[in-house]
Formats: sequence, C-alpha cells, structure tokens
Amino acid sequence: MGRKAFCFPGQLQEKPILKEDHPLRTDPSLERWLEKASLQTSFDLYSFTTRGNEVGFNLKLQMATYLLSMIHFYRLQSQGWVPDVIAEHSMGIYAALAASEAITFEEGLWITESIGRILEREGRLSKGAMVSIVGLPLSDIQTIQQSLNGFCLSIANYNGSKHFVLSGAEEGIEKAISLALSKKAISATRLTFGVALHAPSLTSLRGEIETLLKTIHFRSPKVPILNHLTVQPLKQEEIRDFLAQEIGQPVYWDRCVERLIQEGVTQFVEVGHGATLTKLIRWINRDVEAFSAGDRFKEGTIE
Amino acid sequence: MAEVNEELIVKLKQLIITRLKLMDMTPEMIDTDAPLFGEGLGLDSIDALELVLGLEKEYGVIIPDAEVGKKVFQSVRTMAQFVADQQGRT
Repeated sequence: MGRKAFCFPGQLQEKPILKEDHPLRTDPSLERWLEKASLQTSFDLYSFTTRGNEVGFNLKLQMATYLLSMIHFYRLQSQGWVPDVIAEHSMGIYAALAASEAITFEEGLWITESIGRILEREGRLSKGAMVSIVGLPLSDIQTIQQSLNGFCLSIANYNGSKHFVLSGAEEGIEKAISLALSKKAISATRLTFGVALHAPSLTSLRGEIETLLKTIHFRSPKVPILNHLTVQPLKQEEIRDFLAQEIGQPVYWDRCVERLIQEGVTQFVEVGHGATLTKLIRWINRDVEAFSAGDRFKEGTIE
Repeated sequence: MAEVNEELIVKLKQLIITRLKLMDMTPEMIDTDAPLFGEGLGLDSIDALELVLGLEKEYGVIIPDAEVGKKVFQSVRTMAQFVADQQGRT
C-alpha cells in the first residue's frame, strides 16, 4: 500500500468565504480554534477583520491560511487520517510544523503573525511584487529574467514544468507580465503580495527572524516534514534557521512532489481551503491521487 | 464559422472531466453555455494549462496565446466552436 502525504499550501490569494452552509461551520471544534486565534491575535476569520490593531490584507490572508489549514488538519485527524509524511509550500511551513507537533497551534499562529508583520513592514519599504506565470517552460522564464536584468527578478516558486512564480521590484514584475504574455504564456497574474517573497533581497531579514524565533522551543517533528528548499526531511535543530532563511529562498515544489513519489507516496491530501497544490500535483504526475480536504469536506465525501 | 455538433460538445465535456480529474462529474452536469472560469465550473489558469494540452493532444488544435485562450475557454460551446473552426481549416 502506498504512503500518504499531507500537503500544507502557502498563502491564499483571496479572502476565504465560509458561508452559513459551509460544512466547516458545523464542526464542533471550529469555534474553539477560532476563539483561541481571536483571543491571541484579535483576528476574526468570519469577518476577516482584526479588532483595533488593524493589519494589512496579506497578513490577514496569512492568518486565515494558517487557521484553515489547522482546522482542516484537526478535522482529518479526528476522522482517523494520519499522514506518513508532510510536505509544505511557502508559508504552509507554519501549519506543517504545528501539525507535526514541532510547535503548538498557538506558536504557529504567533510565528505566522510575527513574520507576517515583518514582511508587511518590508513591503512598505521595498514595494516588491510577485507574478504567477503559467504555460511557459523554465528556459522562457530565465530569458525574461535575463532581459530584465536590472530589476533583480528571481524565480520564487518552481511549481511544475510550466508553472513558475517570479519575485522582484514592482516595476520589473509589471514588465515581466508583458514579456510573458508576448511569449504566449497562458496567463501571467500578479499575486497579492506586496513584498518579493522568496527572493534573495529578503535574506536581509534573516537575523531579525532568527532573533524573533529564539523564544520558541522547536521540538522534533512527529511526522517527517519535507522542506521545500533542500527537499530533505527537516531536522529539529534546523527548523529555526530554515524559517529565517526560507523567505529569501525559492520553493521547489516540483522537486518535493517528485521526491515524495520516489519514496512511495501515492496519495496527496491538500490540507487547506483551496486546491492549488492538488492541481499542481496533477500537472507534475497524473498517476498519483491528489485531492483537497477542503473540497472533500464540502462535497461530503469526507465526513 | 464551422457547424458545431452535439457529439463534439459531449466529447469536450468528457475531455474537461478527464483532464481535470473531475471524477465525480458527468458530461450532463456541465452546462454547455456556463462560464468555465470564475463563477461557472470555477476553473483557474492551472486548469487552463491542462485544457490547452488536452485540446492539442485530442484534436491537434493549438491555443496560440492568452488572448485567444480567454475567448476559447469562455464556455464549452466556445471551445467546441474553436475546435470545429480549426479542424475545418485543415
């Protein structure tokens, strides 16, 4: 029998809507987790607002992403779903760490909020941007990078053979969109980020994040986590450093999926609100089973 | 404009289901004129990439760029019209 991977997605790109009839709203533990989150951060998922201490759209999306991943994770866990391995994409690392019990739910939320605030501040200073380009091979993406040499664009996400995300200065990203479309990309879409996430310019934040994380005692993950940079299991003693450096390094999602398949994973469960990772996995390898827990809960195919 | 027959429409619905692995759906569940992206089936650009490849493999037709893609992927009917027109040219 094949192995099962839980996959934790990165930041949502739009405000999640949990309508009255959404199955998550009948989950008896949902209110408890949301109340915990609201007490700690003042963020309310339903209204997508914070009391008093107002924060930016991206930080609210980051907190919503974390909460929804954790709520889906607890729901899967209560149904007896246990992963053999955990994979994570970008900021999905925070929920991945909490799910593997390397940190607590509260610590994960605190890290999400604290790093999010640093990124928010950085975005105000540097005016970074990101674009998702679908339909062009790596060689075309590299050509775009080279022809916009002065804008220091970097590949932030390697999501598949024809799906990449570029990070860099806002003006350069706008030019990259035009170039990508002129090279016949299927789409070139600006992401919501106001900062060039996963670009080398953010390595300057490494020291600040390391210092911030000194207050957290990281435990050994109970389920192995494949990190999105080296595509190796993340060791307890590496976690702090990984969190401090990963925001300035790319995400090799394609390699993560390929590595997991090599290691016998045949079922990928996306633990979050959307199905982005599920679709990326489908592109990387059509033979494995991949589905979004959020979608299955909605359809009622997972209770 | 080439004529679009019902058989092609059903085959394209099946292609959407197969390429996008919408295993719990049947062709009858897809509205021929409903938008494929956003409000309708809720597809996104990653799905579009799958459909571009599917059309190329199954029908030998190529979506040349994003602008054409936007027009072709408005609905199953616009997809069918594009395939019929392209095949009529060969």
